[in-house]
Amino acid sequence: MKKTATTGVPRRIFLGAAITAAGLALSGCGGGSSPSAGGNVELNFVYWGDSNRAKMTDAAIKIFEEKNPGITVKSEYQDSGPYADKLATRFAGGNPPDVLNMANRSLLEYAQRGTLADLKSLPEIDLANIPATIQSRGEVDGKLYGLATGVTTIGMVVNKTITDQAGVTIPDDKTWSWEDYAKFATEVTQKTGGKIYGAGYDVATETGPILFARQRGEDFYTKDNKLGVSEETIREWFQYSVDLRNAGGYPPAGFFEQIGGSPAQSYLAKGTVASQIIPINNFKGYNEASGGNLVLLRMPGETTGERRGYSADPSMLWSIAAKSKHPKEAAKLLNFLINDADGAVETLTQRGVPINPDVADAIKPKLGKDDTAFVDMVAAIQEDELAPAYVYPKGASVVADTLKQLATEVEFGRITPADAAKTFLEKSNAAINK
Amino acid sequence: MSVLTKQAPGAAAALASGGPGKLRRGTARRKNQRSGYLFLLPWFLGMLFTIIPFFASLYLAFTDYNLFTEPNFVGLANFQAMIEDPRLWQSLKVTFIYTFVSVPISLAVALLIALVLNRGLQGLAIYRSIYYLPSLLGGSVAIVMLWRYIFGNDGIVNGFLGLFGIAGPAWVTDPDFSLSTLIVLNVWTFGSPMVIFLAGLRQVPTMYYEAASIDGASRWRQFRSITIPLISPIIFFNLIMQLIGSFQTFTQGYVMSGGTGGPADSTLFYNLYLYQKGFTEFEMGYASAMAWLLLMIIAIFTAINFIASKFWVFYDN
Repeated sequence: MKKTATTGVPRRIFLGAAITAAGLALSGCGGGSSPSAGGNVELNFVYWGDSNRAKMTDAAIKIFEEKNPGITVKSEYQDSGPYADKLATRFAGGNPPDVLNMANRSLLEYAQRGTLADLKSLPEIDLANIPATIQSRGEVDGKLYGLATGVTTIGMVVNKTITDQAGVTIPDDKTWSWEDYAKFATEVTQKTGGKIYGAGYDVATETGPILFARQRGEDFYTKDNKLGVSEETIREWFQYSVDLRNAGGYPPAGFFEQIGGSPAQSYLAKGTVASQIIPINNFKGYNEASGGNLVLLRMPGETTGERRGYSADPSMLWSIAAKSKHPKEAAKLLNFLINDADGAVETLTQRGVPINPDVADAIKPKLGKDDTAFVDMVAAIQEDELAPAYVYPKGASVVADTLKQLATEVEFGRITPADAAKTFLEKSNAAINK
Repeated sequence: MSVLTKQAPGAAAALASGGPGKLRRGTARRKNQRSGYLFLLPWFLGMLFTIIPFFASLYLAFTDYNLFTEPNFVGLANFQAMIEDPRLWQSLKVTFIYTFVSVPISLAVALLIALVLNRGLQGLAIYRSIYYLPSLLGGSVAIVMLWRYIFGNDGIVNGFLGLFGIAGPAWVTDPDFSLSTLIVLNVWTFGSPMVIFLAGLRQVPTMYYEAASIDGASRWRQFRSITIPLISPIIFFNLIMQLIGSFQTFTQGYVMSGGTGGPADSTLFYNLYLYQKGFTEFEMGYASAMAWLLLMIIAIFTAINFIASKFWVFYDN
């Protein structure tokens, strides 16, 4: 440093260079960790999530590295949106990560392009304890391209502090219908003088209509990877939210400005809505953010429809890139993630209930109250007979975007639910059949 | 532009004069040239990163490249598909509305503020910096996030309207208002054209105004007949730059809508849709074709402006 200054490089340029270097260093620390170097093989491991999830994952990775000398893991994490974009560019650039998080809706797009490794061809991965129904959710054309990180489903959470103050009884979730939910939500809004809305669920996320379609005897996505939902069902789904808004149970158009953020940013946490649909592996996070008095309920309509709508779904998947330079070591890491109880004790149910039942049993005593409620509910749901669920088709991300867009059009009354349903089917089918 | 080109003759003369004292001057010149090229080197290297993708995208525009497998030549199929793509038309509509509303307004605001600042205020440098600052930040993620809060349901804009008993709309989430919120953001970043206007205004000789006041011309008349014609090259330059910049808008739309172009595609800027096609739907061939369409659109509008400029831009020399 001293030398540079005395050889006459103008101070301004030198300062500029220093600031640039500092900037580069800063931009490099966007999450991620690279524990002690020196191993023979370095694996690149990427996933989406928040810093809390990263902390738990780092702890598990440390155990993996201790158990597997000679392998170091360089991990990176991001929010799910930017994660998906970055993953695509990395694959396109021929520099994919070794082990990665895959979304249900993207699996087929990647698998059918030959970018993922067949996990059955890697003997390091022990599938003996993994239920066939779980494996099927990562299978494409008879090959296994993804394994669930854990199992989850959606549920309704209600803030009991609000309903108690308003003097509204929460209906029995074992038998409640969609009408019961609407009545309940409307009552909450009325009794709080319109300060708090009874319902605050997200119309535009596909997990809602998927369950709704199953209750009506339809498969949103079918076994042969097509769109199976009827126009009538989508119309009903939109119509339900319109009616609920008109009745006052659901907030007015434009109320929700940010959907899909962290539990702390949710409207449930802000206390402006009394209930919300969530992926229930996040129950703990929502409960902590919302004052600790949330109750976890089953979705409405489970006993009043044609059949059960629930399915035990992969919350996300683990995959290995076909181009990984270290498939053996990558397979070891993936095997660790699904089968190792010591690692699972660190991550608990962050990514759903572990798919290996032995691992799930092993971590059970370590779980807190909220996580136990989640695990128990997933188990209780699976006691009943559930209809099979399938891999999302190619084009599922376009379907998700289309749903979002049409939900907004319906919200602001720019289009009728009937027209929205018609457009939804047209656009989705076009994307899937392309 | 007169300001920018005025120095050119002098510089050219300096370069051309190799006359007396040849030897010494010759080596000095070579030395100067060498360091000149040295300083240009980063630009040349940078150009490689522009030129290669430039031609690659031209080729890819005629293929079905999907990022993962080898591209196949498909002729004009991508361009044909564009005609039938409703979202492409929507993105063009959004981009055109944004450009044709925000560019004239932001130029007018920039000129107005420049005129005010040109009246010999004390602490001009401070004011100039204050007004210039937003244009450095306007395209940045943080400012767009801030904008979301300012115009949010609980934001200060609706809070202010509430003081007068007006229930403001959902500026960010209502598809009828979301684009106008971004237009306001763009107008707010008038700083860089303003600084250029200010430089232009300083070049207008004061004797013209003195002569005009003696003849009894009003201030408005002076502005119309002296200021506007004399700075018309500057207006022209700013217009072209703003036009090109706003056709290429991306960050504002991306951040405001979380990458979706929503609500209901109301902020689906052309470049945002291009990005979605390329990186979320993996249709890089189509996205490349879109990039070339945008280049053509910008080229056409720039050409129209250059032709039209003959009728209103006045070059003093």
